[in-house]
Amino acid sequence: MAFAARFRQGMKAAIPIWIAFVPSSIAWGIAAQAHGLTLGEIVLMSAWVYSGPAQFAVLVPLAEGKSAATVLIAGLLMNLRFLPMSTALAPFFRGVKRLPLLISSHVVSASSFIVPYLQFQKERQASGGSSVADGYGNLGFFVGIGATSFFVWVAGTTAGFGIALGFPPGFEEALKFILPGYFAGLLVAEMKGWTMPLICLASIVTAIPGALFNPGWGWLATAAAIAIIGWGLEKWLCRA
Amino acid sequence: MALSRIELIFILGLSALLLRALPQLFLVGKSFPETWDRLLRYLSYALLCGLISITLFMSGARFEAQAAPYRGVALALTIAIAYKTKSAVTGMLVGMVLVLAFSWLW
Repeated sequence: MAFAARFRQGMKAAIPIWIAFVPSSIAWGIAAQAHGLTLGEIVLMSAWVYSGPAQFAVLVPLAEGKSAATVLIAGLLMNLRFLPMSTALAPFFRGVKRLPLLISSHVVSASSFIVPYLQFQKERQASGGSSVADGYGNLGFFVGIGATSFFVWVAGTTAGFGIALGFPPGFEEALKFILPGYFAGLLVAEMKGWTMPLICLASIVTAIPGALFNPGWGWLATAAAIAIIGWGLEKWLCRA
Repeated sequence: MALSRIELIFILGLSALLLRALPQLFLVGKSFPETWDRLLRYLSYALLCGLISITLFMSGARFEAQAAPYRGVALALTIAIAYKTKSAVTGMLVGMVLVLAFSWLW
């Protein structure tokens, strides 16, 4: 199928993602404004980094003027999850030239990964697993989802900045709560098994002593250690 | 040399683009080991939870002891409501209202 037709298909499939992106992008815009980022910085971050969790991860260190290494490592650790997502999508874009792949890869996000990935899997099963379909057609579907969701995200953060300006004084507590509250809600909705809730709980509890011990690195180190311990324990228990 | 916010954002974006693009450009046909995928997922969850904690309970290097109890209650209720309704937005909105009410009453 032609790129344009698949792009339109992707756009239609992206509507639930747009709906999900509206509150989260607005929440991020509000929180970023409350932390003192300028509109230019907020739009640049949403458009160029384009990763809600990483933007959240670097917001506090960036706003508080923490070391560049803290900001960059926090963002990098959060963005490592793009590696498996992008690797999983790669076979479906076989035959596509490198420049379009490079440009389109910018819109890989958790949401814009899962919808096309499931669709491509379904199409492959429908064809009896014999073909991976045409790379450009798949790219059109992916870009239809990714690019439109990207624009919703950037527009939403801009709107969030505007909304935050309209908040009267005395609402600082509510503004401070928006992003952590939203991410807590998102995480809960994704909880499966026992490992994830335990890792989350342990990370919430140990982040404070970690940050008190070392304000720059403490919470990062404790979170990374807990993730590795939880992962190791799960592997060990599965083997036992 | 200290980097400006804009420079940091630029480097962050560049690293994100590399992580997104490299597998598509150079790993076509390769698969990412499931166990490493799981570790990266756990890492991002743990980091997000650590962030939730320090964003809510810390101000710079200081623990906000006075506000911590009501923010903790609001967070717990947010989680319970998000779990029950399967809606992060509903949980967040309820949590916002609660934390605001607590901050005025406390």
